[in-house]
Amino acid sequence: MTTHEFFVDMTCEGCSGAVTRVLNKLDVKFDIDLPNKKVFIESDKDTDVLLETLRKTGKTVTYIGPK
Amino acid sequence: EPNGAGLCHVTLGVEGMTCGSCVQSIEGRIGALPGVFHIQVSLEQSNAAVTYDHTRHSPESLAEAIEDMGFECSLSNAASAP
Repeated sequence: MTTHEFFVDMTCEGCSGAVTRVLNKLDVKFDIDLPNKKVFIESDKDTDVLLETLRKTGKTVTYIGPK
Repeated sequence: EPNGAGLCHVTLGVEGMTCGSCVQSIEGRIGALPGVFHIQVSLEQSNAAVTYDHTRHSPESLAEAIEDMGFECSLSNAASAP
């Protein structure tokens, strides 16, 4: 299992809540670091799938790399 | 009643927004959907007023699009009006 690091442009609890809800639907383990605008996802899914899911929130998302 | 152009208007309840950035995300993404002509999201009233083409969207499909973004959306005032 790989942990992937993403930058997600979150500014508040509402933003991180939205990210939480879309990731819950994907059924993966994840950790959100709101102050640093980072999301760590533990998954073997393709990074494109994870990126697409995070982008559903309408926020700017970039893949940083495996942790 | 929808008018000749197929325009409908609906106000959906949206929960989970806490700041201007949430509002902008929803307005930007839902407003960019084909068949959505106008969207106004209110943080104070926790709702989104959408003007859309009823041949391409329904209040249910719009609510689903907002749910898909990670917000809770309800058909609080789903009566379509021109």
